[in-house]
Amino acid sequence: MYAISTKDLTKKFKNTLAVDHINLDVEEGDIFGFVGLNGAGKTTFILMLSTLLNPTSGTAKVCGYDIIKNKKDVRSSIGLVFEEQAVDIYLTGRQNLDFTARMYNLPKKERIERISRVLESVGLSDRADDKVKDYSGGMLRRLEIARGMLIYPRVLLLDEPTIGVDVQTRRYLWDYLKKVNKEYCMTIFLTTSYMDEADYLCDRVAIIHEGRILSMGTPEKLKYELGENLIFLKVSNSFDEFSGILFKEPWVDRVDIFEDEEGNNWIRLSVKGANVRIPDIVKFAKEKGFSILSIKMQKPSLNDVVLHHIDKIG
Amino acid sequence: MSEKIEFKRKFTEIQPIYSMWLREVIRFFNMKPRVISTIVQPVLFLALLALPMSKLFHGAPPEMEQTMFGGLNFFSFLVPGIVGIGLLFGGTMSGVTVLWDKDFGFLKEVMVAPVRRTSLMLGRTFGGLTVGMLQALITIGVASVFGIWYGFKISSLSGFLLAIVFCVLTFFIFSCFGIILGGLFEGTEGFMAFVNLIQMPLFFLSGAMIPISQLKGVPVLYQIQFINPLTYGVDGLRSALTGSTPFFPIWIDIIVLITVAVVFLLLGAYTFSKMEVD
Repeated sequence: MYAISTKDLTKKFKNTLAVDHINLDVEEGDIFGFVGLNGAGKTTFILMLSTLLNPTSGTAKVCGYDIIKNKKDVRSSIGLVFEEQAVDIYLTGRQNLDFTARMYNLPKKERIERISRVLESVGLSDRADDKVKDYSGGMLRRLEIARGMLIYPRVLLLDEPTIGVDVQTRRYLWDYLKKVNKEYCMTIFLTTSYMDEADYLCDRVAIIHEGRILSMGTPEKLKYELGENLIFLKVSNSFDEFSGILFKEPWVDRVDIFEDEEGNNWIRLSVKGANVRIPDIVKFAKEKGFSILSIKMQKPSLNDVVLHHIDKIG
Repeated sequence: MSEKIEFKRKFTEIQPIYSMWLREVIRFFNMKPRVISTIVQPVLFLALLALPMSKLFHGAPPEMEQTMFGGLNFFSFLVPGIVGIGLLFGGTMSGVTVLWDKDFGFLKEVMVAPVRRTSLMLGRTFGGLTVGMLQALITIGVASVFGIWYGFKISSLSGFLLAIVFCVLTFFIFSCFGIILGGLFEGTEGFMAFVNLIQMPLFFLSGAMIPISQLKGVPVLYQIQFINPLTYGVDGLRSALTGSTPFFPIWIDIIVLITVAVVFLLLGAYTFSKMEVD
């Protein structure tokens, strides 16, 4: 049985298809990441899985329970952390957790024990009795994740778990999530627009754009699809001419023009195998009569993969 | 076997209801301004509204009190009306807190718990009810102190207990009313504007300050009083608390209030269950 399984899951808002016939299976115990730009349909997808939104068509099962027919069973099996803040800021951290624990009917002894354990594990024990409105952004996020963990759910759904959190807290949360995933064999499904997050955390990743999955696999596989190495070139004269010549070479997988953050254009070469080196390319350019101004080599990041897929469909 | 499980499931709704109630109460006592205004508001209403207004009929012949105010002096007539205002305002305000939760995203967190929507709504309403009753009791208490000089007296213990029943029903009705309105509006601002608009006629056309029968000659306004639930709440409350003659028979007051409460509860639960999260 899959932890999450969707079949043609679709959600249509007035004029837009937010989620467009998504078929997805997530193995139990996996950390699965939905990567995409803002507005790609990630949040809508997670809200449907958590029974808060009804799909327009298609079905999904979470822990084997149908998200439309067995809402209550789905709700008892999942923990959910929302993208936006969803705690009561006029209560203390502990009171917030106590409220949730009661909502899930945990008996008193277990309630007290679990609350102090999750508070401890996210490092909030010493601030537990302060009102949440005095918490920093990172503490808030940690509290929300602690709450998602409170019922030891079989599936933990996280919508942009580390948005607006500093580097140190991010790393802390990542390691925490990895730990609980291992310890409790908890399936974790997260959405993110940070590629490094997906790369660091996820066993499998799907790239989602305009409600559709463009590509899916392990982060390594997705990066490999783009080529093992990326070489960026800047030449003095005609870009198009040189890229045309390069494209005919058997050792070149893909050529395109890449614009970096400063607005500079580069020729981006995706190269098969690791045997092609920078000196070879410089030599090749000289032979063909092009002079290279600048050259750099890079292992592809998930960032490149996502942008590549999105560019491809225009 | 399955019956047993079903029973257990029903039983498990109590904890979440209690949890919602507890949150409302903790929130209330955490917010000092709310606590203070709950205590001060009835005092102000009594001192600045009921007392000066009771001077309007100072020295009027006793027959007038008999015919107009059901045998009460004007101050005693106004006290249950002022309790009624508190119930009306306090009840509808609990609809606002639904919206606050919606704005703060807290509603989502509640909605994703494996709990019936009706339980969520009940817990929240009980929370508001607790605060509302506290205010009603403070009002009656303060009025009794003023009453030493102005002639207001609780008729009997049984009358007082019956008055509590009327308070609970009235508050419950407006609390559900607030939630229904809360479900219809997108943001707090539009809601507040509408609430202010509708509270005015509800308040003035309820017999809280002007006896119901006094409006007999005014066509539309007179009839509106009969479709206003607050009319029945204040009428029953007044008669129970002071022992005066009610406008409607007391059992009519009770039946109307219970019916409206049930209908509003169902409507409120429906609204709450349909409330979109996003």
